[in-house]
Amino acid sequence: MKLMTKQHLEYVNTKQIKKMLDKRRAKMTLSLKVCAHCSFCAESCFLFNSNNKDPRYMPSFKVINSIGRLYKKRGKVKRSTLEEIGKRVWEDCALCTRCYCPFGIDLPDMLAFARSICRSQGVFPEYEK
Amino acid sequence: MNYFSIDTLYHLARGPMVWISFLVLILGIAYNTVRFIFITKKKDGLTLNPLPISPSTESDRFPGKGVQRLLNLLKQTILSVNPGTIVVSLIFHFVLFITPVFLLAHNILIDEAIGFSVFSFSENISNVFTIIFLLCIFFFLIRRILLPRVRAISSFNDYFILFITAAPFITGLLAYYQIFNYKIVIILHMISGALMISIAPFSKISHMIFFFFGRFVLTNEYTIGKGSRTWNR
Repeated sequence: MKLMTKQHLEYVNTKQIKKMLDKRRAKMTLSLKVCAHCSFCAESCFLFNSNNKDPRYMPSFKVINSIGRLYKKRGKVKRSTLEEIGKRVWEDCALCTRCYCPFGIDLPDMLAFARSICRSQGVFPEYEK
Repeated sequence: MNYFSIDTLYHLARGPMVWISFLVLILGIAYNTVRFIFITKKKDGLTLNPLPISPSTESDRFPGKGVQRLLNLLKQTILSVNPGTIVVSLIFHFVLFITPVFLLAHNILIDEAIGFSVFSFSENISNVFTIIFLLCIFFFLIRRILLPRVRAISSFNDYFILFITAAPFITGLLAYYQIFNYKIVIILHMISGALMISIAPFSKISHMIFFFFGRFVLTNEYTIGKGSRTWNR
């Protein structure tokens, strides 16, 4: 899957990203904190099950390494990081919302939010053009 | 008076530190509860569970009666996917709570402090529970190190929380059998216990509160019951 990027591709509006992150900080940071890193969400993802149980496809892995990474860096990310995150939330996730969490963490919402942040910086797959 | 003596540290650890740690725990739980209420809202009449899994809804998905129905329900939970880990986890959490609460030594101290205490297990039973707990912690540690799926999402914080949860039980057992210098071990026991209690609401141990919020109160596909709140957005 090829990710589109804007022509002025080195530029990342970190202020805009931070604003978006701050708007939903309460729920997102709480969910990231409550995550026990138990990996019980793994089997609920059909991509995990059909890709030889590759940990990359675990919902928790995807969340921690997308929206978790954005919050950790407080939105100050390079374009290459955004593209990595973009690949994770589009290539490794179908957003089928089947993800299960024993603590009721809203994993699909977190992944969808990561997508919207990527989209805001012009990082999104060709089919979403 | 030597302010840095072991005895001073012992009295500090046994006295004010215990109360402060419990105060921090209670305030932390209150803070998390209020925070949860503020970032959620009451479910309106239009909110539906898309795929209700709760046993309080239709019984077609859980055929049978009594024990058979319960078994059919359990088959559709995480227990059927990871039976070993879930059983260890259940034992772990059960022992984690009952061991310190019904420990004779703790209840003697509580009785001295407030004139009241609860029932206590015999010391042998408490020791057995402690060993079971440490075996569970060892299982979780090995799982976290060896299983690729768990290792992939593990960080220093995960290992630290495991250590800080095990420390009071290890030091408690060492103190009971008077291995090493008793005074130092018991001080370490009190400090590690207080630390664990204090950081509980502010670390991933807060899942002890949010498990109930997330699975019983929030409305989603995996709500147990009907749920009464949804996210604010």
